[in-house]
Amino acid sequence: MSGPGGGAHRGHAKSAAGFLVDAERAAWHDQSLWFMRQKRDRGTDLPEWESLRLAGSALKAHAMSRLADLLEEFERRATANGVVVHWARDAGEHNAIVLGILHSAGVSRVSKSKSMLTEECGLNPFLEARGIEVVDTDLGERIVQLAKEPPSHIVIPAIHWKREEIGALFHRTMGTPAGETSPDALAAAARVHLRDALMNAGAGITGANALVAETGGVVVCTNEGNADLGMHSAPIHIACVGIEKIVATRDDLGVLLRLLARSGTGQPVTSYTTHVASPRPGAAMHVVLVDNGRTRRLADEAMRTALHCIRCGACLNTCPVYRRSGGYSYGHVIQGPIGAILAPAVDLDAHHELPFASTLCGSCADVCPVRIDIPAQLLAWRARSAAAGTLPRGYSTVFSLLGRVLSSLSRFERAARWARRAQRLIPASWLSGRWNPWTRPGRALPVLAVESFREWAHREETPS
Amino acid sequence: MNARDSILAAIRAAAVPPAPAAIAPSTPAADDSGLHEAFLRVLTEVGGQGVIRTAGQPMESFISEPLGAVRQDAMVVRGRFAVAENAAVYVDAADLQARNDIVRAEHLVVIVPFSAIVPTMHEAMRLMPADSRCGWFLSGPSKTADIEQSLVFGAQGSRTHCVVFDRGT
Repeated sequence: MSGPGGGAHRGHAKSAAGFLVDAERAAWHDQSLWFMRQKRDRGTDLPEWESLRLAGSALKAHAMSRLADLLEEFERRATANGVVVHWARDAGEHNAIVLGILHSAGVSRVSKSKSMLTEECGLNPFLEARGIEVVDTDLGERIVQLAKEPPSHIVIPAIHWKREEIGALFHRTMGTPAGETSPDALAAAARVHLRDALMNAGAGITGANALVAETGGVVVCTNEGNADLGMHSAPIHIACVGIEKIVATRDDLGVLLRLLARSGTGQPVTSYTTHVASPRPGAAMHVVLVDNGRTRRLADEAMRTALHCIRCGACLNTCPVYRRSGGYSYGHVIQGPIGAILAPAVDLDAHHELPFASTLCGSCADVCPVRIDIPAQLLAWRARSAAAGTLPRGYSTVFSLLGRVLSSLSRFERAARWARRAQRLIPASWLSGRWNPWTRPGRALPVLAVESFREWAHREETPS
Repeated sequence: MNARDSILAAIRAAAVPPAPAAIAPSTPAADDSGLHEAFLRVLTEVGGQGVIRTAGQPMESFISEPLGAVRQDAMVVRGRFAVAENAAVYVDAADLQARNDIVRAEHLVVIVPFSAIVPTMHEAMRLMPADSRCGWFLSGPSKTADIEQSLVFGAQGSRTHCVVFDRGT
């Protein structure tokens, strides 16, 4: 069964072009995300917002500078609180650890709340191939899971689904009445379906929004309450967490919590903010700490701050490229601007196009609650992409030519004079021909001024 | 080398230069008298209901009134303190029969002492019990906007959420 997001990934530009074929749908997607951006703007209207962002950036830089110590402190406290702490170098180790926990307890059905880390590790297909049923319990994640799709947005997994399509999906999979499209009725049906899964699972898997070294606690934020229903109902709670999620103190956590929901959805805080430091009596709690490329990034000074990301989704919502190309065009588990700087570190060859999926407008950096300079890293990845020879032939030729022209004032002025003259001599229809990817019907090259600003200023200043 | 040691070794080999601890921004000195009003305003925005019980008024009426006929499906829990900026109330698992009480109940009523209110999460973090095994900041009922961003209350946890500020003795 395929949903609105189906189709294999063919590189960002080609996938984006495919997404834009349905102009009405693309405009709807754009508007949905812009609505989120506007909610974020209202939610972040605090006098101390910019100092909060500075504190957010500082607490993350501090945590990265003491990462090993903080992880050891976390492990020591969590262990003393009765939590079993596991370490995984990569996705394979992570999946094997989770499977081992489930096997040793004879668990065949698990509930899972939203966790981008388990998406990154491919936990669901891994467990399903070994006979374990996994029910994603965030409503958006359940929608895409039932449709056998990955999430298309890290915070709003089914942002690309329309209510009629969800109604049809639920009719097929949950037996809701045909033609039911009311969000209230559909959410009510999902509530029954998901509460059953949550309260009868052998284990509840969650991600974590933060780990607190000072307390050994795991912090999980949701609006639906699904993570709580899962972790506090099942006999086993497994929290799967990237090592970069750690913060030093509760004070740091306070800053993070003020930033997170406001940036993501414009809410002052999520409905549920859970701080769990030890298993309830008679139950077990496991924390799996996962590297999977994070230590490699930590050693990469130019790209290190990408580890500060708190997965709020603000940079996706504001990005003019993400809004108009959809999550699947990125072909990576994390989409949007932050995905475009995370993915190349995983596999530059496969994701070399993503650093170019940006206008470098800088809006992502402006809204980032921990002030990651995403455009600078996009640019740095472009340079690495070029150095690695992954650019298409045309790109390298054009860029080396542009480099020569733009690095010399006299060459630039000569080229500009030539271009102004050429535009008047060459027929417009030829300039906007099919060969030119920058133009298409309704988007022609603007007419260049007859003289440059410098020429004009020089003429004005010269006494006549 | 096992996974733990090799991850820690890789982190130390990255030799990230020291970075100072963060200093939380100071929030404008709040006039305590406005905190409840701020809390109740935000609570309404996030879909909850709030009331203030004054001395001499029976608690029962405050629990049943906002819930009407659904009283039997309600869970009444103790909140330790409230946070004005986001309408969150801190509930500790030590005060509950079972941890999933806060999400299993159809209707949640949180009773919190009137005087236990702070302006922001910065002060709230200092009030959390140092040795808490499990605790929550609860702000309004369970909700989802995963279907075309239409806000629906009662996603998987409580459908309604009522905070009673208790001024009685």
